[in-house]
Amino acid sequence: MPISLHTAGPAAACAVASHAMVEARLSAIDALRTGGWPATAPALPPRFLRHSDEQTVVGMHAVLAAIARYPEPRPSFDLYGVIAASCQAGRISAAQTLVQAAAIGGTAVSTRIVPECSLHSPAGAVSVGLGMHGPNIGVGGGPDALAEGLFTAIAWLRPMAAGRMRCDGVWLIVSGWDEEPVLDAAGTPVTDPICRAVALSLVPLRAGHLALELHVDAAAGLQPPAQTTSGLLTALGNALAAHDHAGGVSQWSHRCPWAAEIRLVPADAATQGEAA
Amino acid sequence: MTSATAAARDSIMITGIGAVSPLGSSAAEITANLLAGASGVRSIPPHAFARESRQFAAPLTGIPPPPAGTCHLDAAAFAALPRLDRLCLSPITHALADAALPAGTPRTRIGLVLGQGAEHLKVWDFDFLDHGTLVFEPRQGRSLVHRLAEHAGIAGPAVTAAAACASSGYAMALGRTWLEAGWVDACIVGGCDILSPTALAAFYNLRALSRRGDDPTKSSRPFDRDRDGFVMGEGGAFFMLERRADAARRGARMYGELAGVGMSSDASHMVTPCIDPRNAARAIVMAMEDAGVGPEEVDYVNAHAAGTPVGDAAEAGAIRLALDTAADRVPVSSTKSMSGHLVSGAAAFEAIACLAAIERQAIPPTVNLDHPDENCPLDHVPHVARPARVRVTASNSFGFGGSNLCLVIRAAS
Repeated sequence: MPISLHTAGPAAACAVASHAMVEARLSAIDALRTGGWPATAPALPPRFLRHSDEQTVVGMHAVLAAIARYPEPRPSFDLYGVIAASCQAGRISAAQTLVQAAAIGGTAVSTRIVPECSLHSPAGAVSVGLGMHGPNIGVGGGPDALAEGLFTAIAWLRPMAAGRMRCDGVWLIVSGWDEEPVLDAAGTPVTDPICRAVALSLVPLRAGHLALELHVDAAAGLQPPAQTTSGLLTALGNALAAHDHAGGVSQWSHRCPWAAEIRLVPADAATQGEAA
Repeated sequence: MTSATAAARDSIMITGIGAVSPLGSSAAEITANLLAGASGVRSIPPHAFARESRQFAAPLTGIPPPPAGTCHLDAAAFAALPRLDRLCLSPITHALADAALPAGTPRTRIGLVLGQGAEHLKVWDFDFLDHGTLVFEPRQGRSLVHRLAEHAGIAGPAVTAAAACASSGYAMALGRTWLEAGWVDACIVGGCDILSPTALAAFYNLRALSRRGDDPTKSSRPFDRDRDGFVMGEGGAFFMLERRADAARRGARMYGELAGVGMSSDASHMVTPCIDPRNAARAIVMAMEDAGVGPEEVDYVNAHAAGTPVGDAAEAGAIRLALDTAADRVPVSSTKSMSGHLVSGAAAFEAIACLAAIERQAIPPTVNLDHPDENCPLDHVPHVARPARVRVTASNSFGFGGSNLCLVIRAAS
């Protein structure tokens, strides 16, 4: 039965079971390809991230940090899905590939450029690297990545909660640069921006957890915030941290470029009506 | 999920189709070519990063302009768009026109899900080869999906879904969830892809492309003993999806029902297909369960089979595992033997093949299947279409990162 669009309650909601935000300067990302994750996080296959796009590397660290923060006993993530919303992932590799291919021809085009530096790559890497057999997709790709990622994750949680999708939860990873890297004519970065990623472990709504609520009527006519994805992630990360440290949650919401708004609400305030 | 539970949900119907492809730019033209066993593969001029003077691909037959009243752009503005934008906007607007939604339908209640696996890579590629500098510039332009929505006057949710070669199938699955949730009343879903020099070179270097150099129409050979890789194509399809009750109320034509979706991941390797068939089979089983049908009710499987040695055999194993004993009698074909591999657009294009089978009661063939590989033991449909009773079809799509997707498409009534 379709839900009414004109109710005060959320159209759908899900619980945040764990979360983490990781940020790294571009110059520090190579070191993160082979280590730097929490000792209690699951192990990745050897050299798994060596060809990965920068946002994949930072996104993977965010997932590993969120897993490490999971209260014991940790669930199995075998049947988790993965949604990764990145922002122009793979631009540095693409620039270098194009420059080299123009100079020496097609042999310079890496076989890794499509599988490991595209919109689907961060989700694929988390699924493969951590053995998650739920569906994995990339969403977004541009400045609206956060809205597209949250909207998609909450949409997926609905059939999951109804038992129609054999999944136990979804990892949502949203990533972006605070400022897009400036590249020289060879495709080499000449600035050292910060790459930021937030990982959220999302499950069907349950008591005692932070919740994300989707409101599909409240934001009609409102404009989404004019910030970079990275800036938006900082605000989300701060709101999540406030919950961790103070036991409450600061006000956080995000307006989509369409008539929808996503709100972070404390567990006891989450509407238990039409939930994901 | 039982049949009773599936029946209790709103059915999601396909009420409009738009397409651009190597086999035509309308569902009718594509249907005729698929059932005739026509090939869209030909020799293409060397591209910027080509390593051989002769290469085969399946380019578009054309990009029709938007029908009147479906797009905010005039003909000149449409013609001035980047090719990828035109290639997507054309079938989107044709799907809108075909669905003929009532004039008063709120545009905020129409959604758009674009399946596109590597939008930016293609934008940077073509811009660079046209002496542009976009790839070097530290700026974020609006994504293709939001540009397309604006051009087509779609003001509801708009999302890009990327799962490599399964992208447009995931777009269809996602749009279906929005309709089931009641977040939109109509949703355009699908995807298109474009032949780009970087992608052609990358897949060539990966040894994923066929290197046969004789007859282009013979180069795409899914399930054949002598297959040696896929042939890249371009194009895809978009569909209008609506809830059955809404479509029936307004007397809309219903081409078929998007009856079931199954999705899983191999979690095995970023590039190489997984030879263990269990996770791909799980996606097929989930799709059948979601549709409330058993293996014995499936009348046709449109295989992902692109013509790679490992991938086709792995898929054959997954189909056999999912369909069990029914696999001996369920016809299977790969229309990529005719269309080439439309990559991001493949799953949507192959949904047209399923609708063609339902409409014409005939199974599209796998052309070039001269010597079926003994490692792909299926009920193949070689060379020519096979007349058959077709009500329930399943279409597989797999992608880099281990993505597995199966869509069950069923006759509308």
